[in-house]
Amino acid sequence: MEKELIGKVALVTGGTKGIGQAIAERLSDAGAIVVVTARTRPTETQTKHHFIAADLTIASETSKVVSEINEKFGLIDILVNNMGGSTSPSGGFGALTDEHWESDLQLNLQSAVRIDRAILPQMVEKKSGVIIHISSVTGTLPVYQSLGGYAVAKAALNNYSKSLSKEFSPQGIRVSTVSPGMVKTDTMDAYLQSLAETSGLSIEQVTQNLMDSLGGIPLGRMALPEEIAELVGFLVSPKASYITGVNYIIDGGSNPSL
Amino acid sequence: MDKSNKELSGKIALVTGGTKGIGKAIADKLASNGATVVVTARKPSEQESAHHFIGADLTDSSNIVELTGKIIEKYGTLDILINNVGGTSSPAGGFQMLSDDDWNRDIELNLLASIRLDRAMVPKMIEKNTGVVIHISSLNGKIPLYQSNFSYGVMKSALNAYSKTLANEVAKNGVRVNTVSPGMVKTTAMETFLETYAQTINKTVSDASQQLMDSLGGVPLNRLAEPEEIANMVAFLVSDGASYITGANMLVDGGTYPSV
Repeated sequence: MEKELIGKVALVTGGTKGIGQAIAERLSDAGAIVVVTARTRPTETQTKHHFIAADLTIASETSKVVSEINEKFGLIDILVNNMGGSTSPSGGFGALTDEHWESDLQLNLQSAVRIDRAILPQMVEKKSGVIIHISSVTGTLPVYQSLGGYAVAKAALNNYSKSLSKEFSPQGIRVSTVSPGMVKTDTMDAYLQSLAETSGLSIEQVTQNLMDSLGGIPLGRMALPEEIAELVGFLVSPKASYITGVNYIIDGGSNPSL
Repeated sequence: MDKSNKELSGKIALVTGGTKGIGKAIADKLASNGATVVVTARKPSEQESAHHFIGADLTDSSNIVELTGKIIEKYGTLDILINNVGGTSSPAGGFQMLSDDDWNRDIELNLLASIRLDRAMVPKMIEKNTGVVIHISSLNGKIPLYQSNFSYGVMKSALNAYSKTLANEVAKNGVRVNTVSPGMVKTTAMETFLETYAQTINKTVSDASQQLMDSLGGVPLNRLAEPEEIANMVAFLVSDGASYITGANMLVDGGTYPSV
C-alpha cells in the first residue's frame, strides 16, 4: 500500500464496525492518523485507531469530538461521514411515524451536517481538506417496503453533499459522496440470518431474494466492506485531486439507470 | 523498471488513441503500475515511448480486425481495454451546421469504434472469466452544448448508454465495464485551442480559459484537469481495488456537473 496519507488526520464516524471499520483500516494502511467514533467502545482492542465515544445524533457531542481531536492530533484533513442507518420498521409508508422520520433524518443527514459545520472552518483556514459522505444506492433507487425513511434521508444527503461541494470546492475543499449497494457487513449477515430463520429458507436463498428485490445485481454478489473502503481510500488521496461534487455508485451494477 | 510486484504486473492493456493527451497519460500510468501497454493512433508519436505502438484508424473496421489480430498473435490475450479514442471535427454553430457526414463521422469515432473493438476483444475476456473495459466519455454526454460539440455530446451520451448495457450483460462473465467522463482537460490540444481562441477574442489565454469554464456554468475547482488526474481514475478502475465497480459512469470534472 502506498503511504500517501502520511501526516493526515482523518475522522471516520461510525468507524468501529462494517464499512466504517474497513475505511478506518484502509486510511490507516495508507499512513493516516485515524480517529473513529461510535456510541460504544468496541470490545476488541483496536490499537491502530484512536477511539472517541460519541452519539453524533446529539448536537453537543459533535463539538466535544472535534476539540478532542484538535487537541490531541491537530487539524482534521479528512472527514468520512460514515455513520447512518435506520431503526424504522418495514411495511411501507403507513408504518412510519413522525418519530421514525425524525430519527432517520437525524442519523443520516443532520449528524453529517453538524459535524461538517464543526470541521469545515479548519479546512477553510488551511484551504485544503476532503469530506466524504457515505450514502446508499437507495438514495437514487428508492424501495418502499423497507428503508423508506432511510432512502429519503440518503437522497437528501446526496443533495446536501453536492451543494456543499459547490460552496467549498472553490476554497480547495473536495466534497464527494459514495453510494454503496448491498454490503456484506456483520449487520447484514445477522439480518440475513434472522430472515433465514423466520422464513425457513437457506441463507443463500434469502440473500438471492434480497438481491432480486433490488432488481438483481449484475456481479451476482454483495460487496465486501473492503471494496467500499478502496474507493474511499482513492477519493481522499491526492490522486483524486480533480474529483469533487460527485456521487460514485459502487453497487456491482445494480442501479438500473444511466 | 521492475514490474514484478506492481498491481498490474502481468496484465496486457490496450489504450486507443494512446500517444497523446489523456490517452498518453493513461498509457503511462498503467505501464508504471506494471502493465504491458499497447497504444494505437493513426500516426506514431514523435516523442520517445516505451509502449508497443500499433498504427490504426479505428473508424475503419478493417483496421480493427488487423489490430486485434496483432494483439492476439503477440500476447494471446487482453486484460484491460481502454477505449479512449474520440473527438470531433464537426463545425461549431449549432444544429443547422451539421451535415449527415458530420454526424456519421462523430458516430464512427465516438461510438462505433468502441463497439467494434469491444466486439472483437470482450469474447477473449469472457473466455478467461476476467477483464476490464473502460470507455472514456465526456461531461458533454451529460451536459449537452449546442453552440459547439453538439453531435459529439450526443454520441458520448450514446456511449454512456452502450457502456452501461454492456456492463449489465457481461458482469456474470467476470468482465467489468465502466465509463469515465472527464470535464475540461488541459491537454496539448486544449492548450492550442485556448491560444487560438485567445487570439480570436483578443484576450489572454487565462481569460479564454475562464470564458470556456464559464460556458459550462463554472468549474468549482476553478481550473482545468491535468491529463494525469483522469489517468489516476482509470488506473483505479482497472485495478483489483475496484472489484465491485461495474456499470458506473465516473465523472472527473472538478465539480462542474450541476445536478445531484
